[in-house]
Amino acid sequence: MKQALSERAVTERPMIEVIGLGHTYESRGVASRALEDIALTVQAGRFTVIVGPSGCGKSSLLMMMAGLRRQTEGTILVDGRPMLDPDPDRVGVVFQDANLFPWLSAIDNVAFPLMLRGLGRSERLDRASAMLELVGLGHAGARYPSELSGGMKQRVSIARGLVQDPPVLLMDEPFAALDEQTRMTMGEELLRIWSQTSKTVVFVTHSLSEAVYLADEVLVMSAHPGRIIDRIEVELPRPRTYEMMATATFGQLRDRIWRQIRSPQPGNPA
Amino acid sequence: MSPSAIRWLIGGILLVLWEVLPRAGLVPQLFLPALSQTIAVAIADWRIFAEALAVTLSEAAVALVFACGGGILAGALLGSVARLRGLLLPVVSSLYAVPLVVLYPVFTAWFGIGAQSKIAFASLYGFFPTLLGTAAGIQTIDAQLLVTARSMGATLSQRLRHVVLPAAIPTVIASLRLGGALVIVGVVVSEMLTSSAGIGYLITSYRTVLDSPRVYVGILLVLLLGVLLDLGMRLLEHAATRHRPSAVPRRAAPAI
Repeated sequence: MKQALSERAVTERPMIEVIGLGHTYESRGVASRALEDIALTVQAGRFTVIVGPSGCGKSSLLMMMAGLRRQTEGTILVDGRPMLDPDPDRVGVVFQDANLFPWLSAIDNVAFPLMLRGLGRSERLDRASAMLELVGLGHAGARYPSELSGGMKQRVSIARGLVQDPPVLLMDEPFAALDEQTRMTMGEELLRIWSQTSKTVVFVTHSLSEAVYLADEVLVMSAHPGRIIDRIEVELPRPRTYEMMATATFGQLRDRIWRQIRSPQPGNPA
Repeated sequence: MSPSAIRWLIGGILLVLWEVLPRAGLVPQLFLPALSQTIAVAIADWRIFAEALAVTLSEAAVALVFACGGGILAGALLGSVARLRGLLLPVVSSLYAVPLVVLYPVFTAWFGIGAQSKIAFASLYGFFPTLLGTAAGIQTIDAQLLVTARSMGATLSQRLRHVVLPAAIPTVIASLRLGGALVIVGVVVSEMLTSSAGIGYLITSYRTVLDSPRVYVGILLVLLLGVLLDLGMRLLEHAATRHRPSAVPRRAAPAI
């Protein structure tokens, strides 16, 4: 893993490319423009956060990157190839709710994607338990989702997203349902896991502090139609600490995002 | 005393009353023959009752297969195909509320008074609740679980087998329990109405000759049948959900 980490520092190559993406959906015969003119590149190993008001299409964009939804225009390349269908070899997804299967224990939940691939039980469990170890739940593999706290469930879900070792991890407001303290801890944990696994992460949130705290780069989106209105490079050193949230730089970055989101956009009278 | 101890105690008291009240002449023997007398009749006529039980059981077993198999298949179809559901579910729901027993004379005309008409009637009786329960079970599956499985590259058949099936099992089995109970009702009721064999037939024919002890033996056998079926279904339910602790956290009931 050390090696992978240094590799990331050396090779600059695009892992995710979104080219000329637009999306129009039709509801009751009325066409609405959901996403407009989205173009972005995420370099391998980078942590990118997409932030924006609700309804700006940030989650839709993420689902398109995951191959779970099809855009009406444009192309998404992941690892150089178009993303037309879900592909667990390239992309792992973590959803807002942990979405664990309630009839499976934590370890079987993590091993579920491997089971779909037809891996043998012992190899499945080996890899799943290594992943649970990574997310700090090595002791809880036998527990069922109903016996886990919200934070623990989301850790299991992250372990499941990583178990097939995809280069990309997409996270759709994964901590939004957690209380603030758990959320802080999960943020720290996620950064630790990220630094140990060298994944390319795209993380959607509506929390400005979370965005600045986690990201290498923050993409700010506006709504109606959803478009990227700002890209902010977060220069804060890593590892990030809780104390950094009180610094002037942190506050300035957060203010900048907030002004972007609050100010009415051209063509948007709200 | 624990609730189960109280239950056993109440059961015991009832049995004692069953013996004492008729013997003391407080209740006419025609209404309630003494327990010992009922048991004595059951032992003396065990062959007749065993034969009737075999008839009823075999009818119920076949009807159970039709009702539950058909109910689960139709319910799964209705639960997963929205168009079909919109078309048929209102009809099915209102049919469920109709006293189907009015159809039984028609069934005897079609299938005769033998086992076929009982099986057909009991199957129909158990079919609707199984169908409705299964359809509801399929519909209530969390759509997010299916999206999650899709994100892991699960194919349609994998999603059906590894997500829809296990997610639906508890509701399906619960509806099987209900459907199974109604199958027994259907079989016994149809035997009582028009028949030449089975427990229901025995109950009716002994009643017409005012042979109360034998009527009670028949009633006890039907009760036993219902309880055993329910027990079996519960075991099945337990086996299917044993690896899934209750989704609702167990808490002490609030003191009032």
